[in-house]
Amino acid sequence: MSEGVYEKLQAMVGEEAGPFESPDGVNRPMIRHYCEAMEDGNPLYSDEDYAKKSKYGGVIAPPQMVQAFCMPPLWPKREMSDPQARAVQMMDEAGYYGVVATTTSQEYFKPMKPGDRLSYTIKLVTVSPEKTTRLGTGHFITSEYTYRNQDGDVVCIQPFTVLKFKPATG
Amino acid sequence: MGYESIYWEDVSEGQELPAKSRLMTRTTIVATAIATRDFTPVHHDHEAAQREGAQDIFLNILSTGGLIGKFLTDWSGPEGELKKMTIRLGATVFPGDALTSVGTITKKYTEGGAHLVDVDFNLTVPMGPHAWGSATVALPSKG
Repeated sequence: MSEGVYEKLQAMVGEEAGPFESPDGVNRPMIRHYCEAMEDGNPLYSDEDYAKKSKYGGVIAPPQMVQAFCMPPLWPKREMSDPQARAVQMMDEAGYYGVVATTTSQEYFKPMKPGDRLSYTIKLVTVSPEKTTRLGTGHFITSEYTYRNQDGDVVCIQPFTVLKFKPATG
Repeated sequence: MGYESIYWEDVSEGQELPAKSRLMTRTTIVATAIATRDFTPVHHDHEAAQREGAQDIFLNILSTGGLIGKFLTDWSGPEGELKKMTIRLGATVFPGDALTSVGTITKKYTEGGAHLVDVDFNLTVPMGPHAWGSATVALPSKG
């Protein structure tokens, strides 16, 4: 059974979904709210006078905020079918119901400025052979998010790996 | 302007970033989850977190990234530019945990005209390492 799901997942590698639009795009209130919660006082994110004189010519969003801008709305719910979500569901159905995020990474290519519209695509990149870990036996699933702005410029690439596993004590 | 930045010429490999610690209250966990627009119940709903096998609500991953970014640019100053970070995830952050951030410069180099440093960082809670990895930051140069 486990080999069956692994083969099906292997066949999905390279599948891509999207683009999914950011509900609000880049905007000052969300930047301020984010910096408030993080306690991030970087003047590039908040001080217009300082930011105007910087190489950006105005306020920018924290680069690590890119995914927050692109989170799907709580309501109305989006019908989203992406290969990452489907892979996780297939693993659940095969009995690998444990999940833990193991690695994430972000590389930034363009600053995000208020008024920018963002979207992302998500691609299934790798599915590991079955591995035995401290948590249990399972597969590492890596997806890659690519965020773009309204000009089609890549803003950020974000690989993200989860382990889907059969809990060791289960 | 009162905003100081660190120059590339003034740092060296092996140098440690000043350690920082923040008490992660229940309010912090919820405020950061909502500010990152992550409404997954385990980040704000105690009963939902317990149903998932956690002792309490816990910090979401988007906020881990936010806190690492802040830790790095708080050190570099606003002219420092975060180019890349890779984060490995371990112990979860629960309400009441002190989250301590440390970092060390592992490499100082230039590439494509940019003056760069690689920094190994480690964010820990009493239970163990929460998030660790490596980041690349571009620093302003005196040249």
